[in-house]
Amino acid sequence: MTQLTIDGRTISVPEGTMVVDAAAKLGIDIPIYCYHQSLGPLGACRICLVEIEKMPKLQTACTTAVREGMVVRTGGPAVEKGRQGILEFLLINHPLDCPVCDKGGECFLQDYSFWYGAGKNRFEESKIQRRKDYPVSSYILLDQERCVLCQRCIRFMGEYVGEEQLMLEGRGVHTVVSTVEGQPATSPYAGNVIDLCPVGALLSEPYHFKARPWNIEREETLCSVCPVGCASLVTGRDGRAVRLEGRPQPELNDYGFLCDHGRFTYDYTYHPRRLTAAELDGAPQSPSAVIAAVGERLARAVAEAGPESVGVLTGGTHTVEEEWALARFAQDVVGTSRLGLVKPVAGDLPLALLGTFGDLAAATGVLLLGVDPYEAVPVVHLKLREARRAHPVAVWGLGDRTLTRATLPGDDYVVEPGRVAAALGAVLGGGDLDERWQALAEGLLTTERLVVLWDGADPGAAAALAQLAARRAGPTAVLPTHGPRNWLGAVRAGIPADDAAARGILEDAAEGRLSALILLGADPIRDFPDGDLAARALERVPSVYFMGAFAPEPRHALAAILPTAVWAEVTGTYANMEGRLQVAHGAAAAPGPARPVRPLVTALARAFGRPLRLGDDFDPFADQDGDRIARPPASQVPEDPAAPAPLRIREGEWALITGEVVAVSHPPSEIAERSRDRFPLRLNPADADRLGLRPEGGLVEVSQAERRFVAGARRDARIPEGRVFVPRGLPEVPVNRLDRGAGVRVALADRVPEGVAAQ
Amino acid sequence: MLAGFRAIANGLRTTLMMLKEPRDTIPYPEKRREYSPRFRGKHMLAQDEDGHELCVGCGLCEAVCPAHAIRVVAAGADGDRPVSWTERYAVDYEVDLIRCIFCGMCEEACPTNAVRLTPFNELAAYSRLDMVADKDELLAPPIRK
Repeated sequence: MTQLTIDGRTISVPEGTMVVDAAAKLGIDIPIYCYHQSLGPLGACRICLVEIEKMPKLQTACTTAVREGMVVRTGGPAVEKGRQGILEFLLINHPLDCPVCDKGGECFLQDYSFWYGAGKNRFEESKIQRRKDYPVSSYILLDQERCVLCQRCIRFMGEYVGEEQLMLEGRGVHTVVSTVEGQPATSPYAGNVIDLCPVGALLSEPYHFKARPWNIEREETLCSVCPVGCASLVTGRDGRAVRLEGRPQPELNDYGFLCDHGRFTYDYTYHPRRLTAAELDGAPQSPSAVIAAVGERLARAVAEAGPESVGVLTGGTHTVEEEWALARFAQDVVGTSRLGLVKPVAGDLPLALLGTFGDLAAATGVLLLGVDPYEAVPVVHLKLREARRAHPVAVWGLGDRTLTRATLPGDDYVVEPGRVAAALGAVLGGGDLDERWQALAEGLLTTERLVVLWDGADPGAAAALAQLAARRAGPTAVLPTHGPRNWLGAVRAGIPADDAAARGILEDAAEGRLSALILLGADPIRDFPDGDLAARALERVPSVYFMGAFAPEPRHALAAILPTAVWAEVTGTYANMEGRLQVAHGAAAAPGPARPVRPLVTALARAFGRPLRLGDDFDPFADQDGDRIARPPASQVPEDPAAPAPLRIREGEWALITGEVVAVSHPPSEIAERSRDRFPLRLNPADADRLGLRPEGGLVEVSQAERRFVAGARRDARIPEGRVFVPRGLPEVPVNRLDRGAGVRVALADRVPEGVAAQ
Repeated sequence: MLAGFRAIANGLRTTLMMLKEPRDTIPYPEKRREYSPRFRGKHMLAQDEDGHELCVGCGLCEAVCPAHAIRVVAAGADGDRPVSWTERYAVDYEVDLIRCIFCGMCEEACPTNAVRLTPFNELAAYSRLDMVADKDELLAPPIRK
């Protein structure tokens, strides 16, 4: 620790801390443009000048490391004169277009000009004109005139993300930020440069000219798109969510970076497909009429066939409080024990193994078990890169395709489809392993702190993971990367999240043992691992009552629809993939008759004839370990999986592999539509050449038995030969309705299916 | 009786004297007073000589308004057919003339000199909604007769 004095106050900080961070700990604000804690010192803008005793000239606080006994003054005539001079230089070519600049009102150049600026410009020559408002990606506008060349955006993309898509061009006064070779930035992290830009140079295109900081509601929220649940700020204007920004959480060592899939999909809250009318038997009705009818029909069903004839399934996207209200309705009002959660994978993680992002930051070894974090949980990929910057981290990928990538290099162990758990079991079981696999076994067992990212697809892996944790001397943490967004919150609310619960309900339904099925935001046909079972169940159940924001297909299977308020419209608690409970506030208004789940459920209970009093006695944070959900030790050791059945792939057929791709599975969004991947299927380049696929990608037909689907496919060297990768939840190819134990046929297609843009 | 007439004449003396004085009242609305050019009446939105609006929808008037009487919604115009002199313009500009206290801060805050308070002060309507002046109304400033 080093002790120093800043503005007469003494503080001890770790060695190597920059003066600007030490001052921030004392609550002293030093102006900065180029410095960012995630990027380290650069000293490009020089606005952070401070006076340090025994140093003859002003020093930049962001590049000066603290020294024992240092005496720093962050104010006074010399400092203010220095900053005033720097600002005058920065403003020489800065246009005076604050009235039309989106940053106006929340701009550091404005703020510092008020605090330190001279108030007038001595520079009389005309300002250099540059390109204004030109797109550098589907979502980002660049105004080169407003740029102060702090290089935060360039360093973020190059150093932090590892995708060098922005660069400096030109020399001296003609230096500008531009994209590499004029190509648009395609990184899913590019949107963060909007938050990083301290001036109005990089702007959000969807938010362009939309609002001003004084006419918006800006509330702390959590991203609702994937289970990472990034801390963010939602901007509400006239009752609509119009922007999502990252929110740093210093106490969790989180810089508040988001991915573009989360940042630019907030418009699902007013997407045309959003439910805005209550329906009964296919006809629009007032919500109260639907509630009365549903309550009465449920009561009749319970009277006739008993409470166990009603099944309740949640989609795990609503808040913990709302999931709890649903559980109360199911158990206390209806009295059924058939309550479950629809999740897209069959694996059940023993919660005792649940790790945190803190574990990830400290990890010495990371196993990617079936998941490519860049695609499924993009911000976790950034967190992994962050950990690698601090210390060496060994990365192993174990799955049916290559899971590491250039920005996260490691060793890949590619196995047969559906053999992930078996391979992990074999690695732990010792036995006859070749040298390469021996290295994996040794690494997994001996690395000091292991974190496993598990996609949950292979149910047998739970047992192997428990075995791995038991065999290891050091700590083992598992982070489940599968959705839905708030499935751990549903666990907190007392809803069984294991695959067996949902499967049991759907099997009962398919066999005609259920008289009614209540869905809260659940789309079993799209999401449940066995889509055919879900489809049979929904067809067979006499009445399916749906509450949620987006109606599942087929609509005719739904006896009643009650639109609900969703994220950004309600304040409530969510649990992320660490099981960490956090509160998200609302900033928008629910459309039309959509209402929050709690009043909906109490009204349903009243119509049912058994009023439900949801008092304030439920506190998601009560009885928890800190702010994380309770993680009881596993009551029973997960069973060793049965040996997987051999793959039934005939000559000329392809193996079907799948995985979570958040670019596909995010909620419907018109903003995100512009960067939608038209070729979501992926093939090995050698296979693609044999098929005759065009270099940029093209349409292929995937068929199995009588089922035929057409979707765009492109080359990807990370897919092994003979396999076709279909993202989970892709509407064109519902992979959960195909038999993954058997092969599929793949052929070029010329028909352009609906929903896919023609080439 | 004479005393009676004298008393009446005496009582009306001031009135009768005033008959020949110039009148202080004017027969409104046939005649109207001249106001100072600085008089702060109803708002207007100015245009330049090409017909482009001066307002760029920056919202500073909205921010500074102590009565929260102004609402501005900005948008970007098509490059070929700009509404204002620049890309950004106000789609909606509303002044609630019932809330407005005619302080003139909006005029002072406006960076493009677009919003101005005219001397027009004949504000009357049959409903409160009619007292909300929208953009079309503000772009066609009323003329004092």
